[in-house]
Amino acid sequence: MSGFGGFALRRTVGAVVTLFAISVIVYVVFYVTPGNVAQITCGPRCSPAQVQQVAEQLHLNDPLYTQYWHFLQGLVVGQDYSTGTSVEHCSAPCLGLSYQSDQQVTALILAKLPVSLSLVFGAMVLWLILGVGTGVLSAWRRGRLTERLLTGVTLAGVATPVFVIGLVLMIVVCGQFQLLPFPQYVAFTDDPEQWAWNLLLPWLSLALIEAAAFARLTRAAMLETLAEDHIRTFRAYGVGERSVIGRHALRGALAPVIALNANNFGSAVGGAVLTETLFGLPGIGQELVHAVNVVDLPVVVGMVLVIGFFVVVANVVADVLYAVADRRVVLA
Amino acid sequence: MSAPGASGARQFWRRLRTQRAALVAAVVVALLVLVALAAPLLTAIEGQDPTTYHPSLVDSARGGVPIGSFGGVSADHWLGVEPQTGRDLFARLVYGARVSLGVALAATVVQVAIGVVVGVAAALGSRWVDQLLSRFTDVIVAMPLMIMALALLAIVPSSFPRPVLVALVIGLIAWGSIAKIVRAQTLTLKGLDYVAAARLSGWRTWRIAVRELLPGLAAPVITYAALLIPQNITVEAALSFLGVGVKPPTPSWGQMLTAADVWYQAAPQYLLLPAGALFVTVLALTVLGDGVRTALDPRAASRLRVGTGRKREAKA
Amino acid sequence: MRQPSVIARRVAAASVSLVVAAGAAACGPEDNDAKAAGGDSTPHKGGTLTVLNSNPQEDFDPARLYTSGGGNVPSLVFRTLTTRNRENGEAGAEVVPDLATDTGRPNKDATVWTYTLKEGLKYEDGTKITSADIKYGIERSFAPELSGGAPYLRDWLVGAADYQGPYKDKKGLSAIETPDERTIVFHLNKPEGEFPYLATQTQFTPVPKSKDTGTKYEEHPVSSGPYKVVSNENDGERLVLERNTYWSASTDAERKAYPDKVDVRSGLDSSVINQRLSSSQGADAAAVTTDTNLGPAELAKVTGDKDLAARVGTGHFGYTNYIAFNPTIKPFDNAKVRQAISYAIDRSSVINAAGGSALAEPATTFLPNQKSFGYEPYDLFPAGKAGNAAKAKELLAQAGYKNGLTVTLTHSNAKDFETSPEIATAIQDALKKAGITVKLQGLEENDYSDKIHNVKTEPGFFLAHWGADWPSGGPFLAPIFDGRQIVKDGANFNTGLLDDKSVNAEIDAINKLTDLDAAAERWGALDKKIGEQALTVPLFHPVYKRLYGKDIKNVVISDWTGVLDISQVAVK
Repeated sequence: MSGFGGFALRRTVGAVVTLFAISVIVYVVFYVTPGNVAQITCGPRCSPAQVQQVAEQLHLNDPLYTQYWHFLQGLVVGQDYSTGTSVEHCSAPCLGLSYQSDQQVTALILAKLPVSLSLVFGAMVLWLILGVGTGVLSAWRRGRLTERLLTGVTLAGVATPVFVIGLVLMIVVCGQFQLLPFPQYVAFTDDPEQWAWNLLLPWLSLALIEAAAFARLTRAAMLETLAEDHIRTFRAYGVGERSVIGRHALRGALAPVIALNANNFGSAVGGAVLTETLFGLPGIGQELVHAVNVVDLPVVVGMVLVIGFFVVVANVVADVLYAVADRRVVLA
Repeated sequence: MSAPGASGARQFWRRLRTQRAALVAAVVVALLVLVALAAPLLTAIEGQDPTTYHPSLVDSARGGVPIGSFGGVSADHWLGVEPQTGRDLFARLVYGARVSLGVALAATVVQVAIGVVVGVAAALGSRWVDQLLSRFTDVIVAMPLMIMALALLAIVPSSFPRPVLVALVIGLIAWGSIAKIVRAQTLTLKGLDYVAAARLSGWRTWRIAVRELLPGLAAPVITYAALLIPQNITVEAALSFLGVGVKPPTPSWGQMLTAADVWYQAAPQYLLLPAGALFVTVLALTVLGDGVRTALDPRAASRLRVGTGRKREAKA
Repeated sequence: MRQPSVIARRVAAASVSLVVAAGAAACGPEDNDAKAAGGDSTPHKGGTLTVLNSNPQEDFDPARLYTSGGGNVPSLVFRTLTTRNRENGEAGAEVVPDLATDTGRPNKDATVWTYTLKEGLKYEDGTKITSADIKYGIERSFAPELSGGAPYLRDWLVGAADYQGPYKDKKGLSAIETPDERTIVFHLNKPEGEFPYLATQTQFTPVPKSKDTGTKYEEHPVSSGPYKVVSNENDGERLVLERNTYWSASTDAERKAYPDKVDVRSGLDSSVINQRLSSSQGADAAAVTTDTNLGPAELAKVTGDKDLAARVGTGHFGYTNYIAFNPTIKPFDNAKVRQAISYAIDRSSVINAAGGSALAEPATTFLPNQKSFGYEPYDLFPAGKAGNAAKAKELLAQAGYKNGLTVTLTHSNAKDFETSPEIATAIQDALKKAGITVKLQGLEENDYSDKIHNVKTEPGFFLAHWGADWPSGGPFLAPIFDGRQIVKDGANFNTGLLDDKSVNAEIDAINKLTDLDAAAERWGALDKKIGEQALTVPLFHPVYKRLYGKDIKNVVISDWTGVLDISQVAVK
């Protein structure tokens, strides 16, 4: 298994390098973003002297590289900070303190992450069922009414922004027909049943956007495979249509679907901004947009890194699964 | 199996012509483009423009809901007027088509260009090239699109033409997925017999890429690009929702949707118009993309015989 | 979506989170309907009040809050020396005693203010509230760690300008004396007849020094009000308040505190909040919002539905949206150009863009149209309903712009219907008729806020707004028009860069008055005098309309805050 060991090592190093690059990019991009951080933090009517005090308090007057160095230090050895009345320690890996709320970014992330993960996991299950299911059906029922209907539905998902779908779903399902309560996040650990009911609409809204991509990809890949020689051979040997579709053609579609899924899962953890915002789910995306707006750099960097971490891990997982699904690919 | 050569173009058109749905879709897309291009002419015929306010056509006491049935539809205002401002909806819709289609197309071109180059280079290059490009792609994929777009759009001075900027930002940030798909597909193709044969016969990498791989990549890339265009329209909408999209008074479908979603109950047509336009566009582009894919794919001919829906397809 | 808090915006948010005012006449009918619909309208104790908000209560430290009159939710937990009168309409714009026995006893020239605490005041843990705790609460608001409040204490208290709070400077502020446990004396560096209004802000909340945990205090601030914090999740995203058993109605004439429990849920999209309040199912039947107004689309729907219309609270908060000129930039240095633009404005278009006549009232004065501000109606450059293009062209010709002129209007890209693109395009459209070509420059919110409040980058022609820190002409006019408040190296709000000796002198003279009615009258006259210079074009005053759940009773909306007062609401 030295091949796999090498693979694991390479990917781990790769992941660290990727995350490092991301943190540098985010630091630089937000450093040049307009917005007087100290004034925003201090408040609209703060005097220049007060703004100066706040800037010192937050080390905003330090050059960029010094600020970044402090950030790296915090990650490795943690950092001490003052609440005014006492000194607290933020232990490694410390992502710093929010400029705006003085909260530890790590704590903030731990509070928001379960929400985003709940949203994305559930939505993923739905989009895979909807997307791959539609893709398989439409490859199978190619050209028939079923395909056209399914195509229409999944395309409506792509064609309509989530803030429209979500709002209309909510007005109709929760407002008019009162089939579900208005979504309100309940932690899975508190009440799994309420967790699911409350997340159903957000899941659906998010899944509808993603499903079409999977449907198209599955269908295209399946048709591709169906045209290949070995499938022709199966058919010639009298293997049943269901088996051809289900066992062999679907297998060919697996690789690209897995790649896309890993990719989308990762980015949805932080990218479901609009869904979280609309449904009032206190997740990473919602917090991140807020942090961007008030130029709360420690929160932005911390959260982008966490999202990046998920994407990177999801991709490694995808590569492994991809290799398992399609034996022609060698892990590299 | 040979790749389409010089005669490929004719073959392509012949195959495309045999698909009725794709032809209809092509006509719809052409019409949309035409409408977008002819927006000034069309609105001149209607006698309206997209920016003039008509305060007398809305009921100010009721939040500015249009006066009259179907959102104020009249001989002067073919599709009614916008709530609050009374601006002509037909004019805004056709002018909006210019911005939305333009931004989405431009962004898609940028995405596809970068994605294909990076993806193919990574798959065919040496291990180091692959590592470097894959890590770079990872970085791009791992950056949340919306967040980076928010930051970048805030940094660039507001004097820079906004639609161009939005297209560039979407294109430059969101090419990661297509690069990954292209790399994955290229790796698969690389393992196939005909490519392996080409490699064995000593073809150079770039020649393999152009002659053998690109045609094979065309199918997934076009399928995906057909989805990217509408996705990019909605990304533009989402950026508008977050307040950093195309700037008013320039109309775009995304902006209209953003402004209209809350009007779903009070003035439904305000939401349904841009939503419907977007849906038709997406549907047409997808069906067309499908048709083009089938027509491009050198193996499509064989599928027409062995495919599961062969009877219907034979008729088409 | 939670939006950025930009400088001016934050003032707005802070003030908005507090208020409602309906002129008694304006909100009368709705109130009557609500009572009729509710059957038994007598409020009773008990039940849980739900609050559905879009902005989390991120700051819940009395030092950091920027409120007008003590805030809405905060005022359930924090009592202050004085507070706003919890009455409908105009009466609600008055200041009344809270922890103190009266609204303050000034010396002859209003530079020394003395307060005496009521007897029997206790914190949630049963310990006694002392005047030293109020002094400490004010001192800690000077700490850079706890920045965020209004600037007045720093500007007014003797020797406070460079004070850095009790964490760095143990000596404390000598300007505040506490001769005994129940007495507190403030020494000001100039006469301030409006000090009682300032004493309504949360910085005047007692904070027991032994319980101070610095920046962590906001997780569980010690209550002096009828409710205490039971849980505070995710930095104010969800707050649960329950009764503070040591609070006594006998020492608090203002807070009714009917519900047993208050459950504040935030981070919700504004359209969802309004949808939930209109559906009013389950716990939402006993729900209100303290930060979300009805938008135009929702209003269009609500006005068509009698049941819903009966559940709308209407109020007026002292607030003005206007166009600001920077007279150091051409062509706005020319008063005729500024007047021409004033004449050309089409206020009905602007009002439609802001949500229509039910959500905005045309403004021709800078001061809000309320008595407590000293409102004196005037319309110096009458534009009529749709703008006077002819008069504008005439003035432009006199100014040397016979063939029209091209200007740039700077606005923000916020979605607030205030300084947002909708308003800017309405103005662009109206000025076209007067031969003025308007180019729009839309800036991201932080950028916008930085630029307009910095004398070096301030554009010539831009959208702005101003809200009242308390319902009086002082905090409304002085920051914008007092020449000594021009800030060269920081956030400047005197955007017209007006430094007029007679204006400055009149501001000083009015500040000496402790008769607030007399002061109001003079603020009104001063507003008109400043208006002649055409440094701003007042556009509109907003009207707040908010839905509440169907079980909500005793809706009180003062002119101070313009929004329903959460301390008065009952759910049974």
